[in-house]
Amino acid sequence: MSGRRGGNRIRGPQSALTDFLAANNISAAQIRDDYERRRRQSAEQDDAGEGASDQPPQPPQATDAALAAAHELEEEEVSKNKKKRKRSEKDAIEKIKKAKASKKGKKKSKKDDSDDDEDYDVAQDMYRKARPAPGQFEHCEICSKRFTVTPYSKEGPDGGLLCTPCGKDLAKELKHEKKAAAKPGGRKRRKLESDRLDGIARGGAKPLQQLCIEKVAKHHDEIEELGDMPQPVVERLSEIFSKKRVMKPKTLRLFLRPDLEDVIVHDSAYLEPDDYHQIFATVPNMKRLVLANCCQMKDDAIDYMLERCHKLRHIHLYAANLVSNGMWHRLFREIGERLEVIKLKWLDDSFEDFVVEDMVRQCPNLQRVKFKLCRRVGAEGVAAFASLAKLQHLSLQISSEVPTSVLCDLVSQRGSQLRTLSLEKFIDADDTLLEALHDNCRELTKLRVSENDTATDAGFTALFTNWQNPPLTFVDFNSTRDVDNNNSEGPEDAIGMASSGFKAMMAHSGPELKHLDIASCRHIQLGAFMDVFNGAQSYPALEHINISFCNRVDTSVVAGIFKSCPNLKKLVAFGCFDVQDVVVPRHIALIGVPRAQEAIEQFGVGIGVDEAIGRMVEVAA
Amino acid sequence: MANDTEYVTLVSSDDFSFVVQRSAACLSPAIRRMLDPAYGFAESRTNTCHFENIKSVAGIVLEKVCEYFYYNEKYKDAKDVPDMDIPTELSLELLLAADYLDGTVSPSEALN
Repeated sequence: MSGRRGGNRIRGPQSALTDFLAANNISAAQIRDDYERRRRQSAEQDDAGEGASDQPPQPPQATDAALAAAHELEEEEVSKNKKKRKRSEKDAIEKIKKAKASKKGKKKSKKDDSDDDEDYDVAQDMYRKARPAPGQFEHCEICSKRFTVTPYSKEGPDGGLLCTPCGKDLAKELKHEKKAAAKPGGRKRRKLESDRLDGIARGGAKPLQQLCIEKVAKHHDEIEELGDMPQPVVERLSEIFSKKRVMKPKTLRLFLRPDLEDVIVHDSAYLEPDDYHQIFATVPNMKRLVLANCCQMKDDAIDYMLERCHKLRHIHLYAANLVSNGMWHRLFREIGERLEVIKLKWLDDSFEDFVVEDMVRQCPNLQRVKFKLCRRVGAEGVAAFASLAKLQHLSLQISSEVPTSVLCDLVSQRGSQLRTLSLEKFIDADDTLLEALHDNCRELTKLRVSENDTATDAGFTALFTNWQNPPLTFVDFNSTRDVDNNNSEGPEDAIGMASSGFKAMMAHSGPELKHLDIASCRHIQLGAFMDVFNGAQSYPALEHINISFCNRVDTSVVAGIFKSCPNLKKLVAFGCFDVQDVVVPRHIALIGVPRAQEAIEQFGVGIGVDEAIGRMVEVAA
Repeated sequence: MANDTEYVTLVSSDDFSFVVQRSAACLSPAIRRMLDPAYGFAESRTNTCHFENIKSVAGIVLEKVCEYFYYNEKYKDAKDVPDMDIPTELSLELLLAADYLDGTVSPSEALN
């Protein structure tokens, strides 16, 4: 290298090879170094021109430029040699050399300009500061604070160094970007499976509204206002926000508009007392109020509500545990007249029987009542419901003991106009209740008597035989069976919904039944299933069936179901271990049939019912 | 009168026209009814739907809607469909438009 110090202006044509090498980031100058060294070592016929003339002549412009570049770089190297160079600097220069060489390799016809540019660039690089060694002080690029350089100091976007906090921030940003960029495909698949389990996924693309709503929900914190959205869309959005647990005070504001008639928040757990005030202040004309998980709602919120909202008809408050009895009294006193719907769940501490009686007195126009999991309401409260003259829909789940006579009384007084009756977990209700239903109910469309181990099959059969009530559309008798660990088959006279009851029920309501739930009615025998779902009988309205844990069900029953229910959308069959090798027709979601290798839910694609059954028969045969 | 062309035109509120297949456009019940001669709207004659009065159906929004039509047709019977990409800024407006087009329609002109 010292040999070049004299400014040996070697000029010669640049060969095609040099061009090619330069294009591949191989430095022509470096090869020249080696060549020079070799030349010095061997005997001396140093006619550079001779060496150069071995190569075929090339366009002179490129040559000059290239040579000039090579020279400049050599000079630079030399001068750098003089100083005590840091390693990174040398690397930087190597990089520049290669970049320049490749640039020159690509440029075909450049004249003086290129030289100037190069000069300028190279000069700039020479003046660029070297990275300070660890232990030295440096100013942070972003915040200009002085800090000590360590081997771990991060580099900023412009090439300078960053102090530790700025470095950490930068690293976090980069990590975020990376995470956002690398979208894990696994999450999408899980979402798809979850949708199918809910029974809403169909073949094909999602509706556009669905896609938009999902997108909006994903970016919920960037939305400022919802604009002119129609009510059902607002409701759907609020449901999704609640589900994702992002219904916070900030997002709540999106859903409060003065012109709305309904305020629906399915998850108010994050809302603080002030937010309730805001709800009532912003939407004074509300007719329907739905607040689930409203644990932080206190007396003064209700007070404010009574002051502002005079049109309330429908109150649905789940878990409003901080509201006192006195406040409930006041509520019924002030708006009891107008109240048509009241739904209360999860009241642990307040709302005694006498409050129920008061409510019944003050709210004569109640049409829908839903009382579930209210710990203090007991038999007397239930008895009070009997005096609600306009009651059409009643739904009860009471944890304390309620004697059957009270229930029978209730049914006999109100039964004739009841359209919905749901009695969950009345474990000791016996056949007299069913008789009362048989004798009194004439307008029922939805009936649920679940989690009961006293009523007998004979009782159910009697209920559905010669019943003057028109066919039901919704039936739920889940978990009506005998619970005896010593005798899993149950007694001779079956308890709960069993074979004859089931047959009678389907005979009565089959034509209009939409939703059938007989989960855990394990005393229903295979014969009954085969009789009901025999393929010849058709249940045109049936869309949703749940036969989980009816362990007599087998594959032929499932095939029969597919045949008999042309509009079936969802069949839930957990715990039916005799069901195997099912081929699911299109538009039907089969959930819960266990096969270790397959998905827990099977979704029918593109096969008609007959073909599916045909294949199943083949497999079975 | 009702010449059943294969392609129909949708005109947005800011005067952008989109020519799409009839089968794709009729995915929207609103558009289908507008084009159906049985209902006697002017649109059925010209095979063009004008959304000039409806603010929610701007050009960019209508473009995405047309893209959705084809996306839906393409994945009609498929499982595991990849979601169509919707730019965030557009999502609210697109939601409004989707809601409008999915429902019933009020005629711009009625034929007697």
